[in-house]
Amino acid sequence: MKAELHEISVKFGTFCAVNNVSLSFAPGEIHALVGENGAGKSTAMSVLFGLNTDYQGNIFINDQLRRWKSPADAISAGIGMVHQHFMLQETMSVLENVILCSEPVNKLGFVNFAAAAKTVQNLIDSYDLQIDQTQKVGELSVGQRQAVEILKLLYRRSEFLILDEPTAVLTPNEKEELFQSLSNFKASGKSIILITHKIDEVMMIADKVSVMRSGNLISSKLLKNTSKNEIQQNIIGGKLPKPIKRKQMHPKDIGFEMQKVIIPGLATGGKPISLKVYLGEIVGIAGVSGNGQGSLVEAIVGIRNILSGNMLLSNENISDQDVSARRKIGLSYIPEDRQSVGLALDASVLENSCVSQMRNKQFSNGYFFNLQHLFKFSEQLVSEYDIRVGSVKSKVRTMSGGNKQKLVVARELEQKKQLVIAENPTWGVDIGAINKIHQELIKMRDMGHAILLVSNEIEEIMGLSDRIHVMANGQLSESLNSDQVTANKLGELMLSRNEPALSEKLEMMRP
Amino acid sequence: MTQRLYSLLAASILLLIIFASLIWLADADFFKSITAFFKGAFGGRKYAYLLVTISRAALITGMAIAALIAFRAGLFNIGGEGQLVIGGLASAFVAINLPFGGPAGIFLVLLAGMIAAGVWAMLAGIMKLWLGVPILVGTLLLNYPARYIASYFVSHPLRDIASGMPQTHLIEKSLWLPLLPGTRLDIGFIFILFIFCIVLIYCYRTVGGYEAKMTGLSIDFANASGLKTKKISLKTLALSGAIAGLVGAIAVLGIHHRFTDGMLVQPLYAWTGIVAALMVSLIPWAVLPAGFFFAAIHSGASGMERTADVPKEIAIIVQGMIILFVASKVPTAFNQNIGSGK
Amino acid sequence: MLGSIFDPAFADSVARISIPILLAALGGAICHRAGVFNIALEGFLLMGAFMAVFGSHFTSSATLGTLSAICGGIFMALLFAEFHLRRPGDPIVVSIAINLISLGLSTYLLRAIFDVSGVFQSDQIRKVSLLDIPIIENIPFLGSFFSGQSLLFYFSLAIVIFAHFFFKYHQLGIWLRAAGENKQALEAGGVSSKKIQFISLILCGALCGLGGAQLSISNVGLFVENMSAGRGWIAVVIVLVTGGRALPLLGLVFLFGTVDGASLRVQGFGWPQQFTEMMPYLASLLALIFVCYRKLKFEKNTQGIRNV
Repeated sequence: MKAELHEISVKFGTFCAVNNVSLSFAPGEIHALVGENGAGKSTAMSVLFGLNTDYQGNIFINDQLRRWKSPADAISAGIGMVHQHFMLQETMSVLENVILCSEPVNKLGFVNFAAAAKTVQNLIDSYDLQIDQTQKVGELSVGQRQAVEILKLLYRRSEFLILDEPTAVLTPNEKEELFQSLSNFKASGKSIILITHKIDEVMMIADKVSVMRSGNLISSKLLKNTSKNEIQQNIIGGKLPKPIKRKQMHPKDIGFEMQKVIIPGLATGGKPISLKVYLGEIVGIAGVSGNGQGSLVEAIVGIRNILSGNMLLSNENISDQDVSARRKIGLSYIPEDRQSVGLALDASVLENSCVSQMRNKQFSNGYFFNLQHLFKFSEQLVSEYDIRVGSVKSKVRTMSGGNKQKLVVARELEQKKQLVIAENPTWGVDIGAINKIHQELIKMRDMGHAILLVSNEIEEIMGLSDRIHVMANGQLSESLNSDQVTANKLGELMLSRNEPALSEKLEMMRP
Repeated sequence: MTQRLYSLLAASILLLIIFASLIWLADADFFKSITAFFKGAFGGRKYAYLLVTISRAALITGMAIAALIAFRAGLFNIGGEGQLVIGGLASAFVAINLPFGGPAGIFLVLLAGMIAAGVWAMLAGIMKLWLGVPILVGTLLLNYPARYIASYFVSHPLRDIASGMPQTHLIEKSLWLPLLPGTRLDIGFIFILFIFCIVLIYCYRTVGGYEAKMTGLSIDFANASGLKTKKISLKTLALSGAIAGLVGAIAVLGIHHRFTDGMLVQPLYAWTGIVAALMVSLIPWAVLPAGFFFAAIHSGASGMERTADVPKEIAIIVQGMIILFVASKVPTAFNQNIGSGK
Repeated sequence: MLGSIFDPAFADSVARISIPILLAALGGAICHRAGVFNIALEGFLLMGAFMAVFGSHFTSSATLGTLSAICGGIFMALLFAEFHLRRPGDPIVVSIAINLISLGLSTYLLRAIFDVSGVFQSDQIRKVSLLDIPIIENIPFLGSFFSGQSLLFYFSLAIVIFAHFFFKYHQLGIWLRAAGENKQALEAGGVSSKKIQFISLILCGALCGLGGAQLSISNVGLFVENMSAGRGWIAVVIVLVTGGRALPLLGLVFLFGTVDGASLRVQGFGWPQQFTEMMPYLASLLALIFVCYRKLKFEKNTQGIRNV
């Protein structure tokens, strides 16, 4: 099946998300669409998939002009999409998920599950997918869930597969399985669009590469006619960021220590976690998201209880302290989810910037706050960290992702606490903000603070950390020195996935 | 902006049409009804009806403030009715048994109402924090026991049997709220104005008010930032309940001078207060005009019933329609986690 | 004393009391599963009750009365859909408004059209006929529960059983569940979740309308101001407690019916009326506490969240 986007433009208000983009896709081809977050890749594809119907330009399918009213039209024309966030029903079985919205029904509308199960099993067998169709989706691992998504497309006989950042949540092993399947599809004549921001994957599997930057199509070439360097330059627009300089440190004092801590809800089978972070170093925790990093961080911050073990911060045992006490002793926290944990979106910049210091002397007398000082303080944060916002009175909701994140980082680092926990601090922000945030973290390290960096991006971990742990399946690996470890070694450590998935365990305990 | 104006106009016209057809259904004259409405809300000999409106506005605004304080902290306390009733009952009980009167007595009676209602509201908080019952349903279900408990007390132990009604004895005159000189308006509304000012300061200038707001906007954010959200929730609920209790006490001491079964439930003070708070999307200063607005609608409807033979329930319908139109304009009038009653 | 509570007349009253709540709760369950947070059941029910009497009075036909009740329920549901689905109104605010409108409108129309306040009764009101089932009616105790009830009783029992299979095996049922759990997934499949939620609201309105008909023209044949008197709220609690699953819902509804029926009975033993009337509400509070506490404990054990 051939598809073509012809001079597509999408505007959100005055903002032009996709500007006059033309792309063509051929059968039996893997076409990689690369670019930074917010470059317009997903928006362009949502036009092709019918999720976005408010666009200018034309879509041609097999040289025929088409206009979708909804995804249903695109689906019936043979286009399928695997979204970055899986669109699955957790409490339903694999079978129910696969056939959802195209169930075989009898005259009264009741579903013929037996017939459907047979069709689905045939598909599973012919593409050699590792799925049991009677299982509940809630019990599946991330890789399996993705396979369900793909199965959904196969069941609908899609000839045209769009995959939005499919590898973001996969272990290297699962990634290889996925790429194997994609090659199979390609061989059977389907066309595949891979939306990604990872160049290595593109080099591995794509036949054609198109680069988008801030809504514009920069280039669209066969892979063999371009180079990794050229793609990279096209993505960021010429200027590569300067490498960050760091001071040589000789850390010897422990800033934070976990001694044999057991965290409930982790699928460790009761294996305790021990961890040390010295003053003046960045300790990275690598791992595919959802392997217990979130629980670990919450336990350190004090949002989550621990079952046993000790946590020492500045030689004080904080295991039984609440969040505010821990923060007072010397902890600051940059949460992964800035939308609901890091910020209160409907509060102003001013209100967000003072939240954990409100009871400090300069900020208030314990009852009434000192508005003058709050203004001074938040304006200072805004200018120091280059946060672009009209005034400190504007709502945080109105700011861009990068500026939101800079505000969180500014607020937490400004407190100059002994331990800084940064959880995916650059997730989904633009390159400018990423550099700024990395610089600030290094600066904190050079000033002699202990920094715990949790991230799903191997590059970020390797670039910033002095020592690295890998978290897989709720277990923490030995510490590795970052100048001696390779990305492959880290990938290997992320793999171990012998235990049943967490949600499965929870299911068993459900009353 | 013009589009908003346009839709506002459309909504107003639609409301007017509904209003007119309701009047037509009741076989009343439209213009006579409208005149009666305005006279009932703002007119009367020596502005007697306006004073009634003010007195009612005080109660509604009080309940709106109570709702607002809880809502902005993310606590969907729709049990204002129960808290109001318990506050009124407690104050009537104390007022009847108090051996002395005067300002000190009045103060004690008001305090009793506030404490009782505050504790009643905290019950819902305790159920939420230790038993996991969503605030929305917890506060709502506590309305019914409150109503029946009050009904029991005024029909049995506290009943003024001679009156033949389910109500308490009249309380001592020395405990009645004094009237403004030359009018029949008691000073209850001044108490509410005072509370209103305090709440404004609380919302805009105090650490407590700030922390409650942050908790309401995102409880995860508040927890991660080290706010003591449990304590904040309980304190806020108690405060919200106490204000509802004060309203109940003012109604007892200022207007009825006794507790009659259903006197605080029937006029829908609590629900109207909630609606008023929601209508202004929880903007603190705006609850005062909103409270007055709804009080005027209710008084005006009473006026229509008196002179134009239009049932006064028209006020409830109009009130519901207004909140529907307003609610559909402000999707995020308050935060999601309020609605997590699921 | 127990013997004199649990007699055949008691079984009969339990069945009668339970039906409006059952129908409303079923409607609520459909909305709940479709992801519409509908707490306006009270309003739907009240409007249904009024419209039943209205229709029955003017047509002198129980069938048309019932139909008119369904229309009343659906009308309120349409209002809900307009302001919550088509416009982005918050479901709680919309629910509160709809409950107020129902209360206001039913009372207003009662006074405006029938010129009475409080209670409306007339000779023209026809009641839904009762059905005696041979053989079953002769079984002691159960007979008076299952036989001699209004048609709506049998209808609603049938609906519960149908609902159970509907959610599991019917396409629309599955789509309803999908809309409630992850509506993006449904939309990615090309089915509009709003449309599904709209259908769920209409079904809910119709069922609540029926419940209202049971209240007003099934056994008593009259309308009282604010006749639903909190039954809609009890239905809301039941939906929340059971998560909208059809069979547990049935069980819980009859449990409440039993408590309510028993409380009517013990009034005869000199208990203050207020306490007995309070019992269903206390019972629903207890049921809610029980379920919520179990959920809380489960979450604590598995996730150890401290601060929520």
